[in-house]
Amino acid sequence: MIIDTYSLVVLFLGTCALGAVLSAILPDRSQLKALAWMASIASLLALSASGAVLLFGDASHARLWQLPYFGTIDLYMDRISALFIFVTALVYLPVSIFSAEYMEKYHGRYSLKSFGVFYHLLFASVVLTLIAADIVSFLIAWEAMTILSYLLVNYEHEHEEVTRSGYLMLAMSEVGTVAAALALLIMVGASENFTFASLKTASSGLGQFAKWAVFLLSFSGFGVKAGLVPGSAWLPRAHPAAPGNASAILSGVILNLGIYGIVRVNADLLPVAYPSQGLIVLVVGSLSALIGILYATTENDMKKMLAHSSIENMGIITACLGAGFIFGAYGHPSLAGIAFIVALYHMANHSMYKALLFLGASAVDSKAGGRNMNRLGGLIKGMPWTAAFFLVGALSIAALPPFNGFVTEWLTLQTLLQSSVLSSKAIKIAFALCGATLALTAALAVTCFVKAFAMSFLGIARSEEAKTAMEARRSATIPMGFLAIVCLLLGILPTYIIPVVDRVVAPVVHESVVDGLAPPFFTFTPSKDTKFSDAFVSEFHDLGAQVGRGILPGRGLVVLHQGSERNPVVFAMSTSYTLVVLALLLGTSALLVRLIFRRRAVKRQPAWDGGLRRLLPEMTYTATGFSNPVRVIFDSIFRPSMVENTRETVAGHFRTAIRNGRSETYIVDKLAVQPIFRASRWLAAVVVGMHSARVNAYAGYILITLLIFLAIQGFV
Amino acid sequence: MQQGAHYSSNPANFTDIVVSRWAEEAKVSADREKLIILIQCASEKLQGICRWLFAETECRFATLVVQETSSEWLLRYIFYGDFERGQVHVLVRQPHAYKMIPSISEQVHAADWHEREVEDLFGLTFEGHPRLGDFVLHEEWPDGVNPMRLSFDACKPYPHREVDPEWQPVKILQASGAFMMPIGPIYSDYAESAQFFLETVGEDVVRTTPRFFYKYRGLEKLAEGRSIEQVLLMAERFSGTSAFAHSLAFCQAVEQVCGIQPPARAQALRALLGELERLRHHVGAIASICGSTALAVATSQTSILEEELLRLTCILTGHRYLFGLNVPGGLSLDLSDEKCIDLSVSIASLLGRLNDLQEMLRFSSSFLDRIEEVGIVSRQGAVSYGLVGPIARASGVSCDLRKILPYGFYNNAPEFSTPVESEGDGYARLRVLFGEVKESASIIRQIAFSLPSGGITSEHFDIVPGQALGWVEAPLGAAFHWLSIGNDSKVARYRVTPPSFTNWHGFHLAAEEFAFQDFPIIMATFALSNAESDR
Amino acid sequence: MGLRTGIKTTQYPDSAETAPGVTPGRPCGIVTAEAEGKTSEVPPCPAEAIHLRGDRISVDYPRCVQCFRCVRSAREPLDYEWSYEWALPMTEDRDPSRRLGKPFARSIHLRLVDAGACRACLSEIEQLGKPYYNIHRLGFFMTPTPRQADVLLAVGPVTDNMRLPLQKAYDAMATPKKVIAIGTCALSGGVFGPSFTSEGGVAKVIPVDVAIPGCPPPPLAMIHGLMLVAGRQVPAQTELDLPSERRTP
Repeated sequence: MIIDTYSLVVLFLGTCALGAVLSAILPDRSQLKALAWMASIASLLALSASGAVLLFGDASHARLWQLPYFGTIDLYMDRISALFIFVTALVYLPVSIFSAEYMEKYHGRYSLKSFGVFYHLLFASVVLTLIAADIVSFLIAWEAMTILSYLLVNYEHEHEEVTRSGYLMLAMSEVGTVAAALALLIMVGASENFTFASLKTASSGLGQFAKWAVFLLSFSGFGVKAGLVPGSAWLPRAHPAAPGNASAILSGVILNLGIYGIVRVNADLLPVAYPSQGLIVLVVGSLSALIGILYATTENDMKKMLAHSSIENMGIITACLGAGFIFGAYGHPSLAGIAFIVALYHMANHSMYKALLFLGASAVDSKAGGRNMNRLGGLIKGMPWTAAFFLVGALSIAALPPFNGFVTEWLTLQTLLQSSVLSSKAIKIAFALCGATLALTAALAVTCFVKAFAMSFLGIARSEEAKTAMEARRSATIPMGFLAIVCLLLGILPTYIIPVVDRVVAPVVHESVVDGLAPPFFTFTPSKDTKFSDAFVSEFHDLGAQVGRGILPGRGLVVLHQGSERNPVVFAMSTSYTLVVLALLLGTSALLVRLIFRRRAVKRQPAWDGGLRRLLPEMTYTATGFSNPVRVIFDSIFRPSMVENTRETVAGHFRTAIRNGRSETYIVDKLAVQPIFRASRWLAAVVVGMHSARVNAYAGYILITLLIFLAIQGFV
Repeated sequence: MQQGAHYSSNPANFTDIVVSRWAEEAKVSADREKLIILIQCASEKLQGICRWLFAETECRFATLVVQETSSEWLLRYIFYGDFERGQVHVLVRQPHAYKMIPSISEQVHAADWHEREVEDLFGLTFEGHPRLGDFVLHEEWPDGVNPMRLSFDACKPYPHREVDPEWQPVKILQASGAFMMPIGPIYSDYAESAQFFLETVGEDVVRTTPRFFYKYRGLEKLAEGRSIEQVLLMAERFSGTSAFAHSLAFCQAVEQVCGIQPPARAQALRALLGELERLRHHVGAIASICGSTALAVATSQTSILEEELLRLTCILTGHRYLFGLNVPGGLSLDLSDEKCIDLSVSIASLLGRLNDLQEMLRFSSSFLDRIEEVGIVSRQGAVSYGLVGPIARASGVSCDLRKILPYGFYNNAPEFSTPVESEGDGYARLRVLFGEVKESASIIRQIAFSLPSGGITSEHFDIVPGQALGWVEAPLGAAFHWLSIGNDSKVARYRVTPPSFTNWHGFHLAAEEFAFQDFPIIMATFALSNAESDR
Repeated sequence: MGLRTGIKTTQYPDSAETAPGVTPGRPCGIVTAEAEGKTSEVPPCPAEAIHLRGDRISVDYPRCVQCFRCVRSAREPLDYEWSYEWALPMTEDRDPSRRLGKPFARSIHLRLVDAGACRACLSEIEQLGKPYYNIHRLGFFMTPTPRQADVLLAVGPVTDNMRLPLQKAYDAMATPKKVIAIGTCALSGGVFGPSFTSEGGVAKVIPVDVAIPGCPPPPLAMIHGLMLVAGRQVPAQTELDLPSERRTP
């Protein structure tokens, strides 16, 4: 090809390095501009490199230096990596522009130089992780990425809570890294060298026990990175602790790396062979989704809510992956392909709208004085653009057409409904339960983001800062607008995107599923050779499925599954058509209203409040009140404990104050993390007991060890 | 308490006991004929005496009457026992300059709102009362101007002032995310104007703070200096749905002051019409309870009965709400025996339909779900807040003035009983309403078939100066009218304590700890009237 | 049970309601006997509603409180009528923004504001929605918010604390809007009159279109007033009412 992806990658790395260097030497005044420029250029380079690979074919395979004993350092960007890099760059671009204004508030308090250095190096390390094709480079880049993201989280290191959250994140990431590394090393045992290619060819030779070990270790290790329950204890603490734009990176980019690891190891290197492994993935994903959205709905801190919501979305992605694994293990490659496509599409969508929401939350944080929704309100008057873009993000994450969340949410549930082809009853029941769970999370997500948007932007301002909030500068609103437009495009052009993702997935499942996904009607291209009989297709022709052919843009998004001859199952939806119809309806109504009522005067009166003298902010619904029903219904998960419940009474009868306080526990902490902490503390206590500081004891230890070795030597 | 039983068995003893207990510390005098004990004391002894009366002798608190003369303040705390013990008036006199009185609300919590009203309207301060202000006069009223003072001219409109922009209603709940849901003065389809602030964190109402007196028409102030004739009109009209009862209490007060007795026929007819009003009022209350739970069939059926009762009343007396009937000394209109018997027959058939309805409601579990165990007022709460009427009876406190302090025809004790329940929830209140309807119908029948003959007004009499307490068991409970007639035969002081005033005080006991959706139902089961309470 | 009860709804306004007990009636003015130019005695009226004008004694209905003293305790009692069509228009209806117009002829939403009424008027208004009168069949509905209301029903003499809420409720309504003042208190202040704590009539606070006098006016009078405001019937005659049925109570 004309474009040489290899040189693009090299250019990209060079730009990142240059950016880091510039951040280190430039004075603070031009620091942020340099950061914005360099990072944007780097993003564009990465976009073009990965775009080229995605659209045109496989890319460079670079064999770099040969290390003694560890083998060659191999860099290979295949389509999977390319997709992830594309999404990464698509997030980095607006965030970099946003940083230009946002980071100004740290001027003088914290070092902008170190932020710039970490930022560029993180970008480089992420891309390196994604294109690493042998274990050594993978692990080195992974570690670098972990440590750099920790440094970004720990940026406001003067707050104790921030440092604690960062430390927890680092510790859990390291545990995950160790598990993942072990998984990779087990696979090395059967192969000749450390490259992924040889791992792939050798993986089929592993025994059952080894395959299970690899699966469990890699899934738990990468699952911690992706924030799946029960490894999600660090997420709700770490993401809010980082500065706003870093949170966007963390949620939109770093979490994806966990998914990348799962996909790379369990779909590419060592494809899942046992359905029960897929079942584990499916169940863990559904549980994460449910728990994530529950805590998001009842959370009042905007950023913490978005962090919990990230857990939910990662759960959805994982559930789709699990479904794909199960379909693949049972020998339905096309369905597996659909599931993987959906998972990767959702990953891309999530990065887009999560980054948008985090940027919006950061803008609100810096302009309206805080993240606590109980102290916001009425921001739509002062920050209309931020409100509009945040609304787009909220609509997308709540899976409403015509935005992108709708497409993948719909496809997820459709995929899970395809379980009728499976033979095992238990698995079918599991699919049904998980499908129900995901439907519940979808409903809760709508509640959560209605609350988030309404409490922050609508209604009356509940604090002084919220009343006087002003719109963010253009360098902040333009990136948000960019992401909003991307969300819309991803939502109305799914049938152009899915073939691209399909080519990513095809090498994994060895089959292309596009034809089953978007049949020839609705289009204006001549009919392709599909695997559906002509009679089947003509039935839909009679139903008028070709209406609008040649006039309306885009193809309809249809999931066709020819079950049996008697009962073909079809699910059809066209988001581009939805957008056109919506636009027509809204536009016509607006025009009609303008025409018919152009002579009427419009009077504006304050909202009717029952005749009160003045409606005070205390008299309007708070965020806590709005989500209280959810809290009450899911009481057993939240396990709230009443901390204070005092009633102050004067003179025996007059109640002068009632104080209710409550604290809630994070169930993952309670069920997963605390027991591990306690166990390790117990273990540490035991070990401390062994250090009795008596010479006799140590002599005894040496003796015992010697005896054990002698015994082993004797048996072997 | 054992002492209570001991007192009631020997009425003469009660007066002696009061005298012997308080003779050293206060001046005790007793009118054994009218059964009124007067204790005149200094303000330091006030709390002790009131606490003793309320807690140890189990007298009930009726009202607090404050009168301003040119030189001093007269505060009269009126308690009452039963028909053998009579009334106990505790009188405190203070020079004009001393505006501080010890508060008795801690011991006698029923006096809480009386003291707040006096503080707003007279400007006296009650020491030890933790919440004064913003009761009758809302935030627009200028400081230091008290309408009930002699110097205040009732006919001039008062000057407004700018409201403090920082003014906020009192907030009691302190929890993160707590807010107050305002139920503004104008709400719902047919509700009277009143304001409630429901403090909550989201589901349950933790605290409700009512703000009343949106319908304050200044009855007591306007009555001063007017003739009996004019005040009779106002006493009748300040509460339209219990007009007959309040006009009856006023007329009885006038008759007591002037020392006259209406003839027997008038007394019998007064009782009959009072029970008719009670019947119609309770049927309306039942209709609104059914309406609050959206049980359309029951609401329609009960409303049909209510309209029929209104028409019967109109046919009998000429006005649907019994306006214009009571005059001091008797009635203004004679009702023939046949008409009364016709009325009784019609009511019997109505009662049959009401019994059918009650049977149907008993088996409607969706209706009972919303009423049972909702809005519970405990017996202890009812006693300490001094609740009266059907609400108190549903919580086990029977305080029926027709039995305790019989007046007029009830001295001859027609055969009837007062229904009492014990759960204190909405269903208990509904059952009490049904029970009272049956008893009222029975009383009407008894009177209609045995009407004494004779005139319906006493002979002409002069209005003499004096003061007396008139009372009546209104449909909503015990109502007390204190009347003081001056030397010019005009009203010098007129104090009304309607049952709604007493019962709204205890409303928050029922509304707390229940969800939002139950609030209108609890309010419907209380069936109180703001017009009556605000005067 | 409902089927057994049958239809109870009144036929008014299609035909007159003749059942007894539907109205408290009101005194009607009389032409004085002028055989010897002797003027008749004006009966006592505590509300100052009866006036002697020229050759007739007339009753000022917005002040009459139905206390019956002019018919029961007067030496020369006035005639009494059992009518119920009492609504009076108060404006000329020239302002186009206040005319309700044809779309509202069959469907009007009402908002009730209680500005200090004694609850008798409120009780009568409640009966409007009940089976005996059922204004839904005529197209009138109650709403809980003035935003969706076309007609404001105001009762009570407008106490001081309710002046602002009444004003706000009126402002919150969208044009075209009308106001019906119901009851003697709403027209002249009733027995409490203008004082330090009540305005003495709704018209002192917001413009009134239709007045329905009475204490309380029966539901049929209110239906008459509602039909008037919807432009569907003629108002009652004021000075000398045509005899419907003259019976002494």
